[in-house]
Amino acid sequence: MSADKVLDATGLSCPMPIVRTKKAMDELKTGEILEVHATDKGAKSDLAAWAKSGGHELLKELEKDSVLKFWIKKG
Amino acid sequence: MANTKVAIIAANGTLFDAYKVFNIATAAAASDAEVGIFFTFEGLNLIHKEAHKQLPLPKGKEHFAEGFSKANVPSIEKLVGIAQELGVKLIACQMTMDVMNLAKDAFVDGIEVGGAATFIDYAKDANISLSF
Repeated sequence: MSADKVLDATGLSCPMPIVRTKKAMDELKTGEILEVHATDKGAKSDLAAWAKSGGHELLKELEKDSVLKFWIKKG
Repeated sequence: MANTKVAIIAANGTLFDAYKVFNIATAAAASDAEVGIFFTFEGLNLIHKEAHKQLPLPKGKEHFAEGFSKANVPSIEKLVGIAQELGVKLIACQMTMDVMNLAKDAFVDGIEVGGAATFIDYAKDANISLSF
């Protein structure tokens, strides 16, 4: 899936993946897609909750080589 | 989380307390909630210029120091900066400052000073109220 911006939040623990995602998302326009990479296992539920509470859409998520990847469309 | 207001009381001063307070506060602020923290008694350590850089682990929990460095958690100093950047309101308790003989310049820049009524007025229409 293509993205307008990729955020590398690997190696960061809570709450940094959310904080970085918020900052990265602020730079995007509505409808654009942010791809987030994280290794914090809590990010799986946290990013889904964050997207929901902010009115964004979590389009896809997958785990590859212990890295969680998320694609979030800005709402 | 826009239109959500979070009111937090920070009344304790160990490293554990600091992470509880600032992780919740920054996560809420990063979710576009309005966040205010009232620091009282030992909680003042969390925003004291010097103390917040070297908060102690709770007694008997010193062995967690290694876990903190392994987990790569941000420092409290960094979290305070992030909280302020995200617009979290930091309110120091005037009465505690008087008791401990601390002036406003003993604390990180950008804080407000207020009494219990200040916090109550802020928290009266909060959606989430927490005490640590």
